[in-house]
Amino acid sequence: MAKGIKDRVAIIGMGCSRFGERWDCGPEELIVEAFTEALADAKIDREQIEMAWLGLFFQEQSAGKSALPLSMSLRLPNIPVTRVENLCATGTEALRGAVYAVAAGACDFALAVGVEKLKDTGYGGLPERTKGSFDDLWLPNATAPGAFAQLASAYTAKHGCDPKDLKRAMAHISYKSHQNGVLNPKAHLQKAITEDQALNAPMIAYPLGLYDCCGVSDGAACAIVTSVEKAREMGIKDMVTVKAMQLAPSNGLEMSNTAWDGSYLLTTRIAAERAYKEAGVTNPVAQLDMTEVHDCFSVTELVVMEDLGLSVPGGAIKDVLDGKFDADGQVPCQIDGGLKCFGHPIGATGLRMAYEMYLQLLGRAGKRQLKSPSLGLTHNLGGHPFRNVASVSIFGLHSA
Amino acid sequence: MSYGILSFGAYIPPLRLSRQAILSAVGWAVPSLRGLAAGERSVANWDEDALTMAVEAGRDCLRDIGVVPPHVALASTTLPFADRSNSGVIADALNLDNRVATEDLAGSRRAATSALARMAHGGQTSLLLASDCRETRPGSAQDMLYGHGAAALLVGEGRPVAVFLGSASRHEDLVDQYRASDADFDYSLEERWVREEGYLKIVPEVIEEVAKGAGVSLSDIDHVVLHGSIDTARALAKRLGIDIKRFADTLGGKVGDCGVAQPMIMLSKVLAEAGVNERILVVGFGQGADAVLLETTPLLSTMQAGRGPQHYLDHGRVSDNYTYFLSLRGQIDIDFGLRSERDNRTALSAYYRKRRDINSMLGGRCRVCNTLQFPRSLVCVKCASSDSQDGESLSNLLGRVKSFTEDWLAYTPSPPYIYGNVEFADGANIMLEFTDFTAGQVKVGDSVRMVFRIKDFDHKRNFRRYFWKPAPLLG
Repeated sequence: MAKGIKDRVAIIGMGCSRFGERWDCGPEELIVEAFTEALADAKIDREQIEMAWLGLFFQEQSAGKSALPLSMSLRLPNIPVTRVENLCATGTEALRGAVYAVAAGACDFALAVGVEKLKDTGYGGLPERTKGSFDDLWLPNATAPGAFAQLASAYTAKHGCDPKDLKRAMAHISYKSHQNGVLNPKAHLQKAITEDQALNAPMIAYPLGLYDCCGVSDGAACAIVTSVEKAREMGIKDMVTVKAMQLAPSNGLEMSNTAWDGSYLLTTRIAAERAYKEAGVTNPVAQLDMTEVHDCFSVTELVVMEDLGLSVPGGAIKDVLDGKFDADGQVPCQIDGGLKCFGHPIGATGLRMAYEMYLQLLGRAGKRQLKSPSLGLTHNLGGHPFRNVASVSIFGLHSA
Repeated sequence: MSYGILSFGAYIPPLRLSRQAILSAVGWAVPSLRGLAAGERSVANWDEDALTMAVEAGRDCLRDIGVVPPHVALASTTLPFADRSNSGVIADALNLDNRVATEDLAGSRRAATSALARMAHGGQTSLLLASDCRETRPGSAQDMLYGHGAAALLVGEGRPVAVFLGSASRHEDLVDQYRASDADFDYSLEERWVREEGYLKIVPEVIEEVAKGAGVSLSDIDHVVLHGSIDTARALAKRLGIDIKRFADTLGGKVGDCGVAQPMIMLSKVLAEAGVNERILVVGFGQGADAVLLETTPLLSTMQAGRGPQHYLDHGRVSDNYTYFLSLRGQIDIDFGLRSERDNRTALSAYYRKRRDINSMLGGRCRVCNTLQFPRSLVCVKCASSDSQDGESLSNLLGRVKSFTEDWLAYTPSPPYIYGNVEFADGANIMLEFTDFTAGQVKVGDSVRMVFRIKDFDHKRNFRRYFWKPAPLLG
């Protein structure tokens, strides 16, 4: 009987570059910035790292294929490096690889790095690409906002709610993330906005306005992991451990069949159910102290609150407007500003979320520190609502 | 069983440009256009061309008649491909199998009427499509006078709605207008010369020949389909002694002159409205003339409902925006930003493998669980059975909008880029690019019909690819 990953692996060091339009940096500088912080935090020698995972999505725009960008940027001593890519869950996948390697006993110390250098395309939004494949022959040349915007029309149709109420809740989500971003010196966007600004912003993809969309950022994040036993040997008492790491990719049902109504994220629900089971979470609202979810768009965060069981079906609009997910709410969401304000360098994002969990759990989050959290959840949603990869991970304090 | 016209159809793009808008834009340079600045002309959307319009006309013609034509002929002077069977793509889009003979007819505004004159003498059952999408130079009279459209006739053995009484043709190299192979626009000569030397000399010859051959007096002709100006019709009516009231509507007020398709569109409108046992004379003109004489049968009344151009004439969307028109038709190069630089290379080997999926919108129906799905897959999306799907086209199914967006970020020649998830019968759901909708028009739950359109242009390699898109219901 498989044991699952709960409390077998400890995160002993993390780092994160400043996110944003890093005109000053290429992928190499971003990787080094995050790694330097993580290595100092872990208090080990770099030679002790035995295996590494690199998360990188847009290899054409960023650093290139394979293990080489990481191995060469850090001049690693020819240790095994695996490059992973799983859309916006890429950073989480890098961490999962490192965590599983340690849990398997293949090594004592493993490194996970996620990086993305996007701001060399010359325009806003994600890079355009054509694959020359079957999909190009029939699928719309959709943008990410256009694909996610459809959650809104399907959600209002399903729950019979007023689109204006949904838009107001979406505005509150962005307002809240901007408020949080102000307190995060590494965030891409550190400026507060009003709800009215969000409501009246130019339309990007109906009904998503400018402030309903996260930006595109450069950045890197990094984790060093070891076994709980090894961490204990190192004298670490209160440690951050991995409680669950689950992944659920679409199998095509959403995009090809009417069984999915378009108003929620099927894979997120599946990944969350598995993660709760693995971590032993039975009442997420009561047990989770914070979440970092994939708020690529405000409406995504809203439906994810229901998909994670933090709101009842159809109840997210009210919960959001009641402040349930605000910094001082019952289950704060995006306490670091989220994708919306911290930024979204795709390959780094999952690790950036884990970084915030790590800081908060250890009481190191500075001005945005929550009051003694002990369990937090991260969520990624790669792809589009109709075809995606969802990851749900849970991190918590563990007393050895 | 007898031989004749078995069915008919037409297509006029829903977009119309007000001729007053043309005058407002270019009247400063060409004030003489004032005399033409009444009514509207039809305009193919950016994703329409002669091929896609012909598909729609063909669908109108073949709808609900249960005839699978063994031959498809496409007549046009604006075929999108000079070397790639345009009619072959159409045969796929009409979900006809690959044993159907296909033929592209070109080189003359009479390409369709000449084919019809030949078919008057019998032959295999054939779907004759006529379509033209002629671009016009800003400020030219053609900008005002031309329109875009298509028509279709099914000719052969069966239950004809009209039978042939005869046909006649002349070729005379009277170059009233021309377009060189490498030219973008037509070059036209003086209308009075064309009327007097062409319409009033060559056309009467073929009309008189066909009437004489059929033993029909000109006064017994109920409808004359003559493309061209109303002045030309009046002059010819007088010359032949036929009541001008018997000349069919040239659709000048809402459509314009659709080139090869014009006599065929006019004929389809006449067929949609004519009574039984009426005689119809169809004339084609251009470096010669064709005349085809038809007589309707009692079966006509059973075929008229909803067929032909009328519902398109009734449901146009009129634009007053001349620069929009110029941009849609590629006459001005709007800076749509870096996103429009996307490279749309088509993987033609992938296309070939999936050509029926793309052109016929062929999905799969699972024999185990009956679930319909697009694209077809080796493993059923619902029950995971392997190799369980039979091909089934979704192109004639109505869809229901499940979710949508109006995307102002994505590149499209006609912003916003509207797309969404569309549900079909038996469980099928497809994310599709919409067409012919304007901002604010789509609603969740709306019914949509599928139309065959250009999906992307590859300007770098002069290629275009086609797929199906949801469009508003007719009427």
